[in-house]
Amino acid sequence: MPDAALVFWYALLTAAATGLGALPFALVRTVSPAGVAWANAVASGLMLGASFGLVAEGTRHGAGETVVGATAGVLFILATQRLLATCQLRWAAAGRGGARRVLLMMVVMTVHSFSEGVAVGVAFGGSVSLAAAIAIAIAVHNVPEGLAISAVLYPRGVGVAGCAAWSVVSSLPQPLMAVPAFLFVEAVAPALPYGIGFAAGAMVFMVLVELLPEAYDQARRAGVALAVCLTLVGMVVFQQYLGR
Amino acid sequence: MHPTLAVLAYASVAMAAAGLAAIPVAFRRRLPASWLGWANGVAAGLMLGGAYLLMAAGLGPAPARAAVGAAAGIGFLYWVHRAAGMQELDLNRLGETAPDYGYQLLLVNMLHTAPEGIAIGVAMVLAPALGLLMASAIAVHNVAEVAVLATVLHSRGLGLGGAVAAAGATRVSQVLLAVTTFAVLSAAPALVGWVLGVAVGALVYLVMAELLPHCYRQAGPTSVALVAILAMGIVVLASGVR
Repeated sequence: MPDAALVFWYALLTAAATGLGALPFALVRTVSPAGVAWANAVASGLMLGASFGLVAEGTRHGAGETVVGATAGVLFILATQRLLATCQLRWAAAGRGGARRVLLMMVVMTVHSFSEGVAVGVAFGGSVSLAAAIAIAIAVHNVPEGLAISAVLYPRGVGVAGCAAWSVVSSLPQPLMAVPAFLFVEAVAPALPYGIGFAAGAMVFMVLVELLPEAYDQARRAGVALAVCLTLVGMVVFQQYLGR
Repeated sequence: MHPTLAVLAYASVAMAAAGLAAIPVAFRRRLPASWLGWANGVAAGLMLGGAYLLMAAGLGPAPARAAVGAAAGIGFLYWVHRAAGMQELDLNRLGETAPDYGYQLLLVNMLHTAPEGIAIGVAMVLAPALGLLMASAIAVHNVAEVAVLATVLHSRGLGLGGAVAAAGATRVSQVLLAVTTFAVLSAAPALVGWVLGVAVGALVYLVMAELLPHCYRQAGPTSVALVAILAMGIVVLASGVR
Protein backbone atom coordinates (compact mmCIF):
# COMPACT_ATOMS: atom_id res chain seq x y z
CA MET A 1 0.00 0.00 0.00
CA PRO A 2 1.54 3.34 -0.98
CA ASP A 3 1.94 5.94 1.75
CA ALA A 4 1.62 9.69 1.57
CA ALA A 5 5.41 10.16 1.42
CA LEU A 6 5.66 8.00 -1.74
CA VAL A 7 2.85 10.00 -3.35
CA PHE A 8 4.68 13.21 -2.45
CA TRP A 9 7.98 12.02 -3.98
CA TYR A 10 6.33 10.88 -7.21
CA ALA A 11 4.53 14.19 -7.58
CA LEU A 12 7.70 16.10 -6.71
CA LEU A 13 9.54 14.23 -9.48
CA THR A 14 6.85 15.22 -12.00
CA ALA A 15 7.30 18.83 -10.84
CA ALA A 16 11.07 18.56 -11.18
CA ALA A 17 10.63 17.39 -14.79
CA THR A 18 9.30 20.89 -15.57
CA GLY A 19 12.85 22.16 -15.03
CA LEU A 20 14.05 20.03 -17.98
CA GLY A 21 12.18 22.47 -20.21
CA ALA A 22 14.93 25.03 -19.58
CA LEU A 23 17.72 22.72 -20.84
CA PRO A 24 17.40 23.46 -24.59
CA PHE A 25 18.32 27.07 -23.81
CA ALA A 26 21.71 25.87 -22.57
CA LEU A 27 22.43 24.88 -26.19
CA VAL A 28 20.40 27.22 -28.40
CA ARG A 29 19.12 30.77 -28.06
CA THR A 30 15.60 30.07 -29.35
CA VAL A 31 13.40 27.00 -29.81
CA SER A 32 11.38 26.77 -33.03
CA PRO A 33 7.56 26.76 -32.80
CA ALA A 34 7.56 23.38 -34.57
CA GLY A 35 9.74 22.00 -31.76
CA VAL A 36 7.20 23.14 -29.18
CA ALA A 37 4.39 21.65 -31.32
CA TRP A 38 6.12 18.27 -31.41
CA ALA A 39 6.66 18.34 -27.65
CA ASN A 40 2.96 19.14 -27.19
CA ALA A 41 1.96 16.31 -29.56
CA VAL A 42 4.04 13.78 -27.63
CA ALA A 43 2.58 15.04 -24.33
CA SER A 44 -0.95 14.78 -25.82
CA GLY A 45 -0.44 11.15 -26.80
CA LEU A 46 0.96 10.22 -23.39
CA MET A 47 -1.85 12.03 -21.53
CA LEU A 48 -4.59 10.47 -23.68
CA GLY A 49 -3.03 7.02 -23.22
CA ALA A 50 -2.76 7.56 -19.47
CA SER A 51 -6.39 8.76 -19.35
CA PHE A 52 -7.56 5.59 -21.11
CA GLY A 53 -5.89 3.65 -18.30
CA LEU A 54 -7.58 5.86 -15.70
CA VAL A 55 -11.04 5.46 -17.28
CA ALA A 56 -10.63 1.68 -17.48
CA GLU A 57 -9.73 1.64 -13.75
CA GLY A 58 -12.55 4.05 -12.86
CA THR A 59 -15.26 2.12 -14.74
CA ARG A 60 -14.31 -1.02 -12.76
CA HIS A 61 -15.59 0.84 -9.70
CA GLY A 62 -18.55 2.44 -11.54
CA ALA A 63 -18.98 3.96 -15.01
CA GLY A 64 -21.59 6.50 -13.87
CA GLU A 65 -19.40 7.76 -11.02
CA THR A 66 -16.40 8.02 -13.35
CA VAL A 67 -18.35 10.08 -15.88
CA VAL A 68 -19.69 12.38 -13.12
CA GLY A 69 -16.11 12.88 -11.91
CA ALA A 70 -14.94 13.53 -15.48
CA THR A 71 -17.65 16.19 -15.88
CA ALA A 72 -16.32 17.92 -12.76
CA GLY A 73 -12.79 17.72 -14.21
CA VAL A 74 -13.90 19.34 -17.46
CA LEU A 75 -15.77 22.08 -15.57
CA PHE A 76 -12.68 22.71 -13.41
CA ILE A 77 -10.48 23.27 -16.47
CA LEU A 78 -13.16 25.47 -18.08
CA ALA A 79 -13.48 27.58 -14.92
CA THR A 80 -9.68 27.91 -14.71
CA GLN A 81 -9.55 29.10 -18.30
CA ARG A 82 -12.28 31.67 -17.69
CA LEU A 83 -10.59 32.94 -14.55
CA LEU A 84 -7.24 33.31 -16.29
CA ALA A 85 -8.83 35.04 -19.29
CA THR A 86 -10.42 37.60 -16.96
CA CYS A 87 -7.11 38.21 -15.17
CA GLN A 88 -5.37 38.58 -18.51
CA LEU A 89 -7.81 41.32 -19.49
CA ARG A 90 -7.24 43.17 -16.22
CA TRP A 91 -3.47 43.02 -16.50
CA ALA A 92 -3.59 44.05 -20.12
CA ALA A 93 -5.31 47.22 -18.95
CA ALA A 94 -3.03 47.88 -15.99
CA GLY A 95 0.44 46.34 -16.15
CA ARG A 96 3.62 46.91 -18.13
CA GLY A 97 4.66 44.74 -21.14
CA GLY A 98 7.44 42.28 -20.28
CA ALA A 99 6.87 41.88 -16.55
CA ARG A 100 3.17 41.34 -17.14
CA ARG A 101 3.81 38.57 -19.60
CA VAL A 102 6.19 36.80 -17.23
CA LEU A 103 3.74 37.07 -14.35
CA LEU A 104 0.85 35.89 -16.50
CA MET A 105 2.81 32.89 -17.72
CA MET A 106 3.71 31.91 -14.16
CA VAL A 107 0.11 32.25 -12.94
CA VAL A 108 -1.30 30.28 -15.89
CA MET A 109 1.17 27.43 -15.47
CA THR A 110 0.81 27.32 -11.68
CA VAL A 111 -3.00 27.19 -11.78
CA HIS A 112 -2.71 24.49 -14.45
CA SER A 113 -0.74 22.30 -12.11
CA PHE A 114 -3.51 21.84 -9.54
CA SER A 115 -5.53 19.29 -11.52
CA GLU A 116 -2.34 17.46 -12.52
CA GLY A 117 -1.45 17.03 -8.85
CA VAL A 118 -4.94 15.66 -8.15
CA ALA A 119 -4.46 13.19 -11.04
CA VAL A 120 -1.25 11.76 -9.55
CA GLY A 121 -2.85 11.53 -6.09
CA VAL A 122 -6.04 9.72 -7.11
CA ALA A 123 -4.12 7.35 -9.41
CA PHE A 124 -2.33 6.08 -6.29
CA GLY A 125 -5.78 5.21 -4.94
CA GLY A 126 -6.10 2.81 -7.90
CA SER A 127 -2.67 1.15 -7.95
CA VAL A 128 1.03 2.02 -7.88
CA SER A 129 1.46 0.91 -11.53
CA LEU A 130 -1.41 3.15 -12.66
CA ALA A 131 0.09 6.02 -10.66
CA ALA A 132 3.53 5.44 -12.20
CA ALA A 133 2.03 5.67 -15.70
CA ILE A 134 0.12 8.85 -14.85
CA ALA A 135 3.21 10.38 -13.22
CA ILE A 136 5.29 9.67 -16.35
CA ALA A 137 2.63 11.19 -18.63
CA ILE A 138 2.39 14.31 -16.49
CA ALA A 139 6.16 14.58 -16.14
CA VAL A 140 6.57 14.53 -19.93
CA HIS A 141 3.69 17.00 -20.28
CA ASN A 142 5.53 19.29 -17.84
CA VAL A 143 8.63 19.54 -20.07
CA PRO A 144 6.98 21.71 -22.79
CA GLU A 145 5.38 23.76 -19.99
CA GLY A 146 8.85 24.43 -18.63
CA LEU A 147 9.98 25.20 -22.16
CA ALA A 148 7.17 27.75 -22.54
CA ILE A 149 8.10 29.48 -19.28
CA SER A 150 11.80 29.48 -20.16
CA ALA A 151 11.03 30.85 -23.63
CA VAL A 152 9.53 33.92 -21.93
CA LEU A 153 12.16 34.28 -19.16
CA TYR A 154 15.38 33.52 -21.07
CA PRO A 155 15.19 36.44 -23.54
CA ARG A 156 14.67 38.73 -20.51
CA GLY A 157 18.05 37.88 -19.08
CA VAL A 158 17.20 35.05 -16.68
CA GLY A 159 19.89 32.34 -16.79
CA VAL A 160 19.23 28.67 -17.61
CA ALA A 161 19.32 27.71 -13.90
CA GLY A 162 16.87 30.50 -13.08
CA CYS A 163 14.53 29.39 -15.90
CA ALA A 164 14.65 25.82 -14.58
CA ALA A 165 13.95 26.99 -11.03
CA TRP A 166 10.96 29.12 -12.01
CA SER A 167 9.62 26.25 -14.15
CA VAL A 168 9.77 23.89 -11.18
CA VAL A 169 8.07 26.50 -8.96
CA SER A 170 5.15 26.64 -11.43
CA SER A 171 4.61 22.89 -10.90
CA LEU A 172 4.89 22.88 -7.09
CA PRO A 173 1.09 22.64 -6.70
CA GLN A 174 1.49 19.08 -8.00
CA PRO A 175 3.10 17.54 -4.89
CA LEU A 176 1.01 19.84 -2.68
CA MET A 177 -2.29 18.67 -4.28
CA ALA A 178 -1.34 15.02 -4.83
CA VAL A 179 -1.05 14.16 -1.12
CA PRO A 180 -4.48 15.48 0.01
CA ALA A 181 -6.13 13.96 -3.09
CA PHE A 182 -4.56 10.58 -2.29
CA LEU A 183 -5.50 10.76 1.41
CA PHE A 184 -9.06 11.70 0.48
CA VAL A 185 -9.68 8.75 -1.88
CA GLU A 186 -7.98 6.44 0.66
CA ALA A 187 -10.19 7.62 3.52
CA VAL A 188 -13.43 7.78 1.52
CA ALA A 189 -13.26 4.68 -0.70
CA PRO A 190 -16.48 5.41 -2.66
CA ALA A 191 -14.88 8.68 -3.81
CA LEU A 192 -12.24 6.80 -5.85
CA PRO A 193 -14.13 6.51 -9.20
CA TYR A 194 -15.17 10.18 -8.91
CA GLY A 195 -11.55 11.20 -8.30
CA ILE A 196 -10.25 9.03 -11.13
CA GLY A 197 -12.95 10.43 -13.43
CA PHE A 198 -11.98 13.98 -12.41
CA ALA A 199 -8.35 13.36 -13.30
CA ALA A 200 -9.17 11.68 -16.63
CA GLY A 201 -11.73 14.32 -17.63
CA ALA A 202 -9.34 17.16 -16.78
CA MET A 203 -6.43 15.57 -18.68
CA VAL A 204 -8.43 14.66 -21.83
CA PHE A 205 -10.07 18.08 -21.90
CA MET A 206 -6.72 19.83 -21.47
CA VAL A 207 -5.35 17.84 -24.41
CA LEU A 208 -8.38 18.62 -26.59
CA VAL A 209 -8.72 22.28 -25.70
CA GLU A 210 -5.09 23.40 -25.40
CA LEU A 211 -2.34 21.02 -26.43
CA LEU A 212 -3.73 19.74 -29.74
CA PRO A 213 -4.95 23.10 -31.14
CA GLU A 214 -1.52 24.61 -30.32
CA ALA A 215 0.27 21.69 -31.95
CA TYR A 216 -1.83 21.91 -35.14
CA ASP A 217 -1.16 25.66 -35.30
CA GLN A 218 2.62 25.26 -35.32
CA ALA A 219 3.29 22.04 -37.25
CA ARG A 220 1.97 19.92 -40.12
CA ARG A 221 -1.09 17.96 -39.10
CA ALA A 222 0.08 14.54 -40.41
CA GLY A 223 3.26 14.77 -38.33
CA VAL A 224 1.33 15.86 -35.23
CA ALA A 225 -1.15 13.00 -35.75
CA LEU A 226 1.68 10.49 -36.13
CA ALA A 227 3.40 11.67 -32.94
CA VAL A 228 0.14 11.68 -30.92
CA CYS A 229 -0.92 8.21 -32.10
CA LEU A 230 2.40 6.43 -31.65
CA THR A 231 2.94 7.84 -28.15
CA LEU A 232 -0.68 7.07 -27.20
CA VAL A 233 -0.34 3.43 -28.26
CA GLY A 234 3.07 3.20 -26.60
CA MET A 235 1.65 4.55 -23.33
CA VAL A 236 -1.34 2.17 -23.34
CA VAL A 237 0.84 -0.87 -23.98
CA PHE A 238 3.40 0.31 -21.40
CA GLN A 239 0.61 0.50 -18.82
CA GLN A 240 -0.48 -3.05 -19.67
CA TYR A 241 3.02 -4.38 -18.91
CA LEU A 242 3.36 -2.20 -15.83
CA GLY A 243 0.10 -3.59 -14.43
CA ARG A 244 1.19 -7.25 -14.73
CA MET B 1 -29.68 -15.11 -36.09
CA HIS B 2 -26.34 -16.40 -37.36
CA PRO B 3 -23.57 -14.22 -35.92
CA THR B 4 -22.22 -13.24 -39.37
CA LEU B 5 -25.70 -12.14 -40.41
CA ALA B 6 -25.96 -10.15 -37.17
CA VAL B 7 -22.72 -8.31 -38.08
CA LEU B 8 -24.10 -7.64 -41.57
CA ALA B 9 -27.35 -6.35 -40.05
CA TYR B 10 -25.65 -4.10 -37.47
CA ALA B 11 -23.21 -2.63 -39.98
CA SER B 12 -25.98 -2.11 -42.56
CA VAL B 13 -28.19 -0.33 -40.02
CA ALA B 14 -25.19 1.85 -39.07
CA MET B 15 -24.74 2.69 -42.76
CA ALA B 16 -28.47 3.34 -43.29
CA ALA B 17 -28.51 5.65 -40.24
CA ALA B 18 -26.37 7.99 -42.33
CA GLY B 19 -29.59 8.83 -44.25
CA LEU B 20 -30.68 10.87 -41.21
CA ALA B 21 -28.01 13.35 -42.27
CA ALA B 22 -30.45 14.55 -44.95
CA ILE B 23 -32.51 16.33 -42.24
CA PRO B 24 -30.02 19.04 -41.23
CA VAL B 25 -28.77 19.44 -44.80
CA ALA B 26 -32.34 19.90 -46.10
CA PHE B 27 -33.09 22.25 -43.21
CA ARG B 28 -30.27 24.59 -44.17
CA ARG B 29 -28.81 24.31 -47.63
CA ARG B 30 -25.52 25.67 -46.45
CA LEU B 31 -24.72 24.59 -42.90
CA PRO B 32 -22.69 27.18 -40.95
CA ALA B 33 -19.00 26.26 -40.55
CA SER B 34 -19.44 25.95 -36.78
CA TRP B 35 -22.10 23.22 -37.28
CA LEU B 36 -19.67 21.29 -39.47
CA GLY B 37 -17.04 21.68 -36.76
CA TRP B 38 -19.35 20.36 -34.04
CA ALA B 39 -20.47 17.44 -36.24
CA ASN B 40 -16.84 16.52 -36.84
CA GLY B 41 -16.18 16.95 -33.10
CA VAL B 42 -19.00 14.51 -32.21
CA ALA B 43 -17.64 12.03 -34.78
CA ALA B 44 -14.12 12.43 -33.33
CA GLY B 45 -15.36 11.84 -29.77
CA LEU B 46 -17.31 8.72 -30.78
CA MET B 47 -14.30 7.30 -32.64
CA LEU B 48 -11.99 7.92 -29.66
CA GLY B 49 -14.67 6.31 -27.45
CA GLY B 50 -14.75 3.33 -29.84
CA ALA B 51 -10.97 2.99 -29.71
CA TYR B 52 -11.18 3.07 -25.89
CA LEU B 53 -13.84 0.31 -25.89
CA LEU B 54 -11.65 -1.98 -28.01
CA MET B 55 -8.57 -1.32 -25.87
CA ALA B 56 -10.43 -1.86 -22.60
CA ALA B 57 -12.08 -5.07 -23.83
CA GLY B 58 -9.36 -6.86 -25.74
CA LEU B 59 -5.89 -5.44 -25.14
CA GLY B 60 -5.14 -7.46 -21.98
CA PRO B 61 -4.01 -10.84 -23.35
CA ALA B 62 -1.63 -9.62 -26.08
CA PRO B 63 -0.56 -5.99 -25.76
CA ALA B 64 2.58 -6.47 -27.89
CA ARG B 65 0.59 -7.82 -30.86
CA ALA B 66 -1.89 -4.96 -30.53
CA ALA B 67 1.00 -2.48 -30.47
CA VAL B 68 2.46 -3.90 -33.68
CA GLY B 69 -1.02 -3.92 -35.27
CA ALA B 70 -1.62 -0.32 -34.18
CA ALA B 71 1.72 0.83 -35.58
CA ALA B 72 0.83 -0.93 -38.87
CA GLY B 73 -2.60 0.74 -39.00
CA ILE B 74 -1.16 4.18 -38.23
CA GLY B 75 1.75 3.72 -40.64
CA PHE B 76 -0.51 2.47 -43.44
CA LEU B 77 -2.85 5.47 -43.25
CA TYR B 78 0.06 7.92 -42.97
CA TRP B 79 1.65 6.34 -46.05
CA VAL B 80 -1.60 6.25 -48.10
CA HIS B 81 -2.41 9.90 -47.30
CA ARG B 82 1.14 10.86 -48.22
CA ALA B 83 1.27 8.76 -51.42
CA ALA B 84 -2.08 10.20 -52.58
CA GLY B 85 -0.93 13.76 -51.74
CA MET B 86 -3.86 14.21 -49.35
CA GLN B 87 -2.05 14.85 -46.06
CA GLU B 88 -2.90 18.54 -46.01
CA LEU B 89 -6.14 18.30 -48.05
CA ASP B 90 -8.98 20.44 -46.63
CA LEU B 91 -11.92 18.02 -46.50
CA ASN B 92 -14.60 20.63 -45.76
CA ARG B 93 -14.18 23.18 -48.56
CA LEU B 94 -17.61 24.58 -49.40
CA GLY B 95 -18.37 25.66 -52.98
CA GLU B 96 -15.21 24.06 -54.45
CA THR B 97 -16.22 22.82 -57.93
CA ALA B 98 -12.96 21.27 -59.22
CA PRO B 99 -13.76 17.71 -60.39
CA ASP B 100 -10.62 16.26 -58.76
CA TYR B 101 -11.72 17.55 -55.37
CA GLY B 102 -14.96 15.54 -55.49
CA TYR B 103 -13.11 12.31 -56.28
CA GLN B 104 -10.49 12.99 -53.60
CA LEU B 105 -13.24 13.54 -51.02
CA LEU B 106 -15.00 10.29 -51.86
CA LEU B 107 -11.70 8.39 -51.84
CA VAL B 108 -10.65 9.82 -48.48
CA ASN B 109 -14.05 8.97 -47.02
CA MET B 110 -14.05 5.39 -48.36
CA LEU B 111 -10.63 4.97 -46.76
CA HIS B 112 -11.82 6.61 -43.55
CA THR B 113 -14.75 4.21 -43.09
CA ALA B 114 -12.68 1.03 -43.62
CA PRO B 115 -11.12 0.93 -40.11
CA GLU B 116 -14.55 1.66 -38.63
CA GLY B 117 -15.82 -1.53 -40.28
CA ILE B 118 -12.84 -3.42 -38.86
CA ALA B 119 -13.68 -1.99 -35.41
CA ILE B 120 -17.28 -3.30 -35.63
CA GLY B 121 -16.03 -6.74 -36.74
CA VAL B 122 -13.43 -7.02 -33.94
CA ALA B 123 -15.91 -5.81 -31.32
CA MET B 124 -18.44 -8.47 -32.42
CA VAL B 125 -15.77 -11.18 -32.08
CA LEU B 126 -14.88 -9.99 -28.56
CA ALA B 127 -18.54 -9.92 -27.41
CA PRO B 128 -21.85 -9.46 -29.25
CA ALA B 129 -22.96 -6.75 -26.81
CA LEU B 130 -19.72 -4.85 -27.43
CA GLY B 131 -20.32 -5.20 -31.17
CA LEU B 132 -23.79 -3.73 -30.82
CA LEU B 133 -22.43 -0.81 -28.79
CA MET B 134 -19.66 -0.20 -31.33
CA ALA B 135 -22.12 -0.35 -34.24
CA SER B 136 -24.40 2.14 -32.43
CA ALA B 137 -21.52 4.55 -31.84
CA ILE B 138 -20.43 4.25 -35.48
CA ALA B 139 -24.07 4.77 -36.61
CA VAL B 140 -24.37 8.08 -34.74
CA HIS B 141 -20.91 9.09 -35.98
CA ASN B 142 -22.05 8.28 -39.55
CA VAL B 143 -24.91 10.77 -39.26
CA ALA B 144 -22.48 13.52 -38.25
CA GLU B 145 -19.86 12.70 -40.87
CA VAL B 146 -22.30 12.15 -43.73
CA ALA B 147 -24.01 15.47 -42.87
CA VAL B 148 -20.63 17.21 -43.30
CA LEU B 149 -19.73 15.39 -46.54
CA ALA B 150 -23.26 15.82 -48.00
CA THR B 151 -23.10 19.56 -47.21
CA VAL B 152 -19.82 19.86 -49.11
CA LEU B 153 -21.16 17.83 -52.07
CA HIS B 154 -24.45 19.78 -52.02
CA SER B 155 -22.49 23.05 -52.15
CA ARG B 156 -20.81 21.74 -55.33
CA GLY B 157 -24.23 21.67 -57.01
CA LEU B 158 -25.24 18.07 -56.38
CA GLY B 159 -28.95 17.69 -55.46
CA LEU B 160 -29.85 16.95 -51.82
CA GLY B 161 -30.77 13.29 -52.46
CA GLY B 162 -27.72 12.68 -54.62
CA ALA B 163 -25.38 14.35 -52.12
CA VAL B 164 -26.66 12.32 -49.16
CA ALA B 165 -26.68 9.10 -51.25
CA ALA B 166 -23.11 9.63 -52.49
CA ALA B 167 -21.93 10.55 -48.99
CA GLY B 168 -23.76 7.56 -47.48
CA ALA B 169 -22.34 5.23 -50.14
CA THR B 170 -18.81 5.87 -48.84
CA ARG B 171 -19.90 3.82 -45.78
CA VAL B 172 -20.10 0.68 -47.90
CA SER B 173 -16.50 -0.18 -46.96
CA GLN B 174 -17.68 -0.18 -43.33
CA VAL B 175 -20.19 -2.96 -44.02
CA LEU B 176 -17.81 -4.99 -46.20
CA LEU B 177 -14.93 -4.81 -43.72
CA ALA B 178 -17.16 -5.45 -40.68
CA VAL B 179 -18.40 -8.74 -42.19
CA THR B 180 -14.99 -9.76 -43.59
CA THR B 181 -13.18 -8.99 -40.32
CA PHE B 182 -15.73 -10.94 -38.30
CA ALA B 183 -15.60 -13.94 -40.65
CA VAL B 184 -11.78 -14.04 -40.74
CA LEU B 185 -11.36 -13.58 -36.98
CA SER B 186 -14.01 -16.23 -36.23
CA ALA B 187 -12.01 -18.65 -38.37
CA ALA B 188 -8.61 -17.52 -37.03
CA PRO B 189 -9.01 -16.26 -33.43
CA ALA B 190 -5.22 -15.99 -33.07
CA LEU B 191 -5.36 -12.87 -35.24
CA VAL B 192 -7.69 -10.93 -32.88
CA GLY B 193 -4.86 -9.13 -31.03
CA TRP B 194 -3.20 -7.90 -34.22
CA VAL B 195 -6.42 -6.78 -35.92
CA LEU B 196 -7.67 -5.05 -32.76
CA GLY B 197 -4.44 -3.05 -32.79
CA VAL B 198 -4.91 -2.10 -36.44
CA ALA B 199 -8.45 -0.84 -35.71
CA VAL B 200 -7.43 1.16 -32.63
CA GLY B 201 -4.39 2.74 -34.29
CA ALA B 202 -6.29 3.64 -37.45
CA LEU B 203 -9.30 5.10 -35.58
CA VAL B 204 -7.11 7.36 -33.45
CA TYR B 205 -4.98 8.40 -36.44
CA LEU B 206 -8.06 9.39 -38.47
CA VAL B 207 -9.32 11.50 -35.55
CA MET B 208 -5.97 13.26 -35.19
CA ALA B 209 -5.15 13.68 -38.89
CA GLU B 210 -8.56 14.30 -40.48
CA LEU B 211 -11.25 15.32 -37.99
CA LEU B 212 -9.77 17.45 -35.21
CA PRO B 213 -7.63 19.85 -37.28
CA HIS B 214 -10.71 20.81 -39.30
CA CYS B 215 -13.11 21.23 -36.44
CA TYR B 216 -10.77 23.44 -34.43
CA ARG B 217 -10.65 25.80 -37.39
CA GLN B 218 -14.41 25.68 -37.97
CA ALA B 219 -15.82 25.98 -34.46
CA GLY B 220 -12.96 26.93 -32.09
CA PRO B 221 -11.15 24.68 -29.59
CA THR B 222 -13.42 25.09 -26.55
CA SER B 223 -16.76 24.08 -28.12
CA VAL B 224 -15.14 21.28 -30.15
CA ALA B 225 -13.37 19.91 -27.06
CA LEU B 226 -16.69 20.00 -25.17
CA VAL B 227 -18.74 18.13 -27.81
CA ALA B 228 -15.94 15.59 -28.38
CA ILE B 229 -15.52 14.82 -24.68
CA LEU B 230 -19.31 14.64 -24.25
CA ALA B 231 -19.50 12.03 -27.04
CA MET B 232 -16.65 10.08 -25.40
CA GLY B 233 -18.40 10.26 -22.03
CA ILE B 234 -21.61 8.84 -23.49
CA VAL B 235 -19.70 5.88 -24.96
CA VAL B 236 -17.99 5.21 -21.59
CA LEU B 237 -21.33 5.48 -19.78
CA ALA B 238 -23.01 3.11 -22.28
CA SER B 239 -20.17 0.59 -21.81
CA GLY B 240 -20.94 0.60 -18.07
CA VAL B 241 -24.66 -0.03 -18.63
CA ARG B 242 -23.83 -2.90 -20.96
